[in-house]
Amino acid sequence: MIANRVSLELMNSLSELSTLGSSLEQFGEALGLSSKTLFEISLSIEELFSNIISYGYTDDAVHWIKVAISHEDDMLIIRLEDDGIPFDPLKAEEPDCECPIEQRKIGNLGIHLTKKFMDDMVYERQGNRNILTVKKKITGT
Amino acid sequence: MEVVEKKQNGICILGLLGRLDSNTSPEFEKKIFEVIEDGTKSLIVDFESLDYISSAGLRVLLKATKELKRSDGKIVLCSMKEYIKEVFEIAGFVSLFPIVSSVGDAMEEF
Repeated sequence: MIANRVSLELMNSLSELSTLGSSLEQFGEALGLSSKTLFEISLSIEELFSNIISYGYTDDAVHWIKVAISHEDDMLIIRLEDDGIPFDPLKAEEPDCECPIEQRKIGNLGIHLTKKFMDDMVYERQGNRNILTVKKKITGT
Repeated sequence: MEVVEKKQNGICILGLLGRLDSNTSPEFEKKIFEVIEDGTKSLIVDFESLDYISSAGLRVLLKATKELKRSDGKIVLCSMKEYIKEVFEIAGFVSLFPIVSSVGDAMEEF
């Protein structure tokens, strides 16, 4: 039987990306996702997770980030929950992808890619927690 | 993630293997800046065995090409998988780098 939900609690450290990556891979393979779809989801999760780590915390303490991956009908759903400072990635400024190289900046490129690859993103602030739910339509299940 | 360095006709070729993500991009950054500091002006980055890239990897390439431009150098990218090329397209990076289909074609860009 295919598990339809994986829940992880990860430290705010980039080294957790490999745990996250392999959990997603197992989940995706069980669902029969194409390698392209799996790549787009992995990239999006990495961008969102590394954003929380880079910008979410103002202290050096260990924080826990909850990640849940599930699917419902033809939607793959990823929910990230953290206790970092309020941050709504949907309000992040769009990068200028046309300007010449000298003025080109990398900021927000991760969010830009995530918005392109995912079909739906919803941000909520509940108490002291950021909750981001992203969805991607999947086929072949 | 592994970076394999080769030299051919005065051109430096960096072959990437595995995943270029937030975790591994510092290693790639160190390597590419090492070869630039050593005076390399003609650089090929071979994506043939690269399975994954995120914005962290794009950041390193942007930084490196800006640095090389200052000394009239150039980076050419080659042998990208289709889904990786799509990342470059969405990011608007296809106008920043020549992207060709093989190392052989990349050599002809210099």
